[in-house]
Amino acid sequence: MKVSRRDFVRTVALGTAGLVVGFNSRNILAGASGSQFSPNGWVKIDIDGTMTLTIGKSEMGQGVRTSLAMLLAEELEADWTRIKLVQATPSPGSDLGTGGSDSMRSSWKPLRQAGAAAREMLAAAAAARWKVDRASCEASHGAIVHTPSGRRLEYGALVADAAKLPVPGNPPLKNANDFKIIGQRTARIDGPDIVTGKARYGIDVRVPGMLHASLERPPWQGAKVKRMQEEKARAVTGVRAVIKMSRGIAVVADTTWAAIKGRTALAVEWDDPPKNAFDSEAHLKRLEAASREIGFITRKEEPPPGTAAVTKTIEATYRYPFYAHAPIETMNCVADVRGDRCIVWAPTQAPERLQKQVAELLGIAPAKVEVNITLIGGGFGRRLAVDYALEAAEISGAAKAPVQLLWSRSDDMKHGHFQAASVHYLSAGFDAQGTPVAWKHTKAGSFHNISPLDPKEVQDTAWYQDWSWGAYDVPYAFPAIQTAYVTVDLPVKHGPWRAVFAPSSVFAREAFIDEVAHARESDPIAFRLEMLRGTDVIKAGSTTIDRRRLRRVLETVRDKSGWDGPVPKGHGRGVACNAYFGHTYIAYVADVVIDKEGNVRVERVVAAVDCGLVVNPIGVEQQMEGGIIWGVSSALKGEITFRGGAAQQSTFADYEVARMRDTPEIAVHIVPSDLAEPFGMGEPPVPPIVPAIANAVFGATGKRVRRLPIRPKDLA
Amino acid sequence: MAKLRLTVNGAPSNIDVDDDTPLLWILRDQLGLTGTKFGCGVGVCGACTILENGKALRACQIPAAEAASRSFVTIEGLSPDVSHPCQRAWIEEDVAQCGYCQAGMIMSACALLREHPEPTDQLIDSVMSDSVCRCGTYPRIRKAIHRVAAEMREKKIAP
Repeated sequence: MKVSRRDFVRTVALGTAGLVVGFNSRNILAGASGSQFSPNGWVKIDIDGTMTLTIGKSEMGQGVRTSLAMLLAEELEADWTRIKLVQATPSPGSDLGTGGSDSMRSSWKPLRQAGAAAREMLAAAAAARWKVDRASCEASHGAIVHTPSGRRLEYGALVADAAKLPVPGNPPLKNANDFKIIGQRTARIDGPDIVTGKARYGIDVRVPGMLHASLERPPWQGAKVKRMQEEKARAVTGVRAVIKMSRGIAVVADTTWAAIKGRTALAVEWDDPPKNAFDSEAHLKRLEAASREIGFITRKEEPPPGTAAVTKTIEATYRYPFYAHAPIETMNCVADVRGDRCIVWAPTQAPERLQKQVAELLGIAPAKVEVNITLIGGGFGRRLAVDYALEAAEISGAAKAPVQLLWSRSDDMKHGHFQAASVHYLSAGFDAQGTPVAWKHTKAGSFHNISPLDPKEVQDTAWYQDWSWGAYDVPYAFPAIQTAYVTVDLPVKHGPWRAVFAPSSVFAREAFIDEVAHARESDPIAFRLEMLRGTDVIKAGSTTIDRRRLRRVLETVRDKSGWDGPVPKGHGRGVACNAYFGHTYIAYVADVVIDKEGNVRVERVVAAVDCGLVVNPIGVEQQMEGGIIWGVSSALKGEITFRGGAAQQSTFADYEVARMRDTPEIAVHIVPSDLAEPFGMGEPPVPPIVPAIANAVFGATGKRVRRLPIRPKDLA
Repeated sequence: MAKLRLTVNGAPSNIDVDDDTPLLWILRDQLGLTGTKFGCGVGVCGACTILENGKALRACQIPAAEAASRSFVTIEGLSPDVSHPCQRAWIEEDVAQCGYCQAGMIMSACALLREHPEPTDQLIDSVMSDSVCRCGTYPRIRKAIHRVAAEMREKKIAP
């Protein structure tokens, strides 16, 4: 079998008779055999007709297992009921990992090419067997059919022949008009397992001889143990060991409960934090002061000659708090360290980072760390960090047994990689006629601790833009624009959250554009539309924004919500919109009602979304609903605060999230798109919902929301 | 350690366990029934909801000593083949996203529907707000509950 470097798919026999086509996510697909190739996934068709898709994306509720299978099934003309899914494991050169709402965008072409290549090979095999022209054969529902004679061979009967054929270099992909599966409302592939309790998440992993661990971590960075009752912990029935390690004190036991009980019996007392230990109130003050600095300019548009001078300026400061991810499945991991090898089972979004860091910790080669990705009980970016896997590996190494580490809810709240606080200082300038001519947005925020700072990046505009999505890519046509980022050190762990760094910036931008509209006595939707005129497609850094798409979602929510309709006293209606990284465009109209005590309830949200080509409409609707409810949590529920270096919240009782009673009536309108590719949906629904709610609160009360979460005492 | 006799999903068990062990961990670690999930351990999230005589209980709040001689139903006991009306409705309304909280949600819905075969939105809000879903599946849970209620009304059956 000859495969040139430009070929992108290749077959291999993996010990069994069957057809295997490998692919990876970088669009450059190579053969699955030999040392040159690291597939991120492959398609295997067995002689019994079973189609197994091995995928490199983690399922955390975004429906990626279903939508990726749809892409494959479409081009392969597969029998949907005979598709099985297997999770890929990291291998040298593989490029797994799930984040940034990127799965559909990056898989769209390679997965369809793999399916199409397999289809073409099966069709060629059938044509050869029947000694007929390939053009007279058609793939349909898991079989090749010879159209003139009606002869039919199932894929299973063809795989042995097909595996011997060369791989087509550029298999024809179907036209969108011919799609049978893509675009159809498709039920989640894991649905039956979920409702019968069979779906296995990280916490459900069971390995022979497995012990259970609970880990007491220092409450603040650098805390030392003052005293603890080690003997009492060891005396708990089922406790096997108390291990002092770099990350805290682990109690290892036969059962989860014995580990929890042992940790309680340990009764660790930590020393007192220093006076200057991290405090979120003080941090907010530092951020506010920093927001007045010039900072690093992330975008500057000079006003064209002839632009009238600014005669009036309005300004506002927006404060954004810390939030936890708080997935219902707490952090957990099973690690089995044996000699120079380690096997890990983890609900992770970053299997390769996990593999690399566990290998470094144990001083072994990454290839010696096998990473098995489980279903994830909520990711939201938290599981891009691999701290819990490092802990599990260290405990397993010390306990010399496979160990399941389970974080308590309190561990999860207090030791998160939090959404970092930020403060935004915005101002707008008007000319003598009251026309807005200048926009300034300075975000004071904190470095991302996940990756160490590269000195080269410190002078790199793109690097700063990365921390201020939603600020530097302001879509509105002010003649003068200046956006900036000011870095403020943050000594507690933080990292990407649902919608990464965009929510704070979009909250500030969309709330302030409402203030500008109000200052101008304009309708908030009409004003936005007016400010989205001019050049249709604009560039801001690496982001390209198509204002036509943004206008369309705004017009849709205006028309579908009855925007101009009456709003009763005590109620309010607000709007906000966003172009998420120039990919997915969303607008919301939110209706709120506020009682005498200042409690806000979101009654209704009308949403419009343009995410390009829609693969699974159910998935799009689910992500919209989920993103809206996520936003209700951050607008109205809990925040994380720090005193003495430690997070103060510990359960859903003191870090509240939206529940059924907080859920608005939601109407999602998917705006038809003529784009030929899909964009992500996991994150984009989040950023514009909070400002839509905040603007509705202004409508009801006349009070601007300039800090989050919205507290009843601020409105009463 | 004491002997604990209890019945789960119709099957009697006789196990060695400390008196204070929450039923949640007996189900998960000793009986291998991992469909019931841990979410908070303090009874505020509903992920571990199970049934006893059709009533919803938090498995993390029932110590072994109190579980003795009682009979419980977990998600695995509803049906292994999606034939229970609540399971079917959950599929038909495409409720689940990550799915982690859904076992608890389904068990809570079963208990609600048993007591109130035609619950209002207000009642659904009040009962189902004892459980947390971070993916935001609430609108579909509400629809699924109404769907089961409608089916029960049509077929004149109890959940």
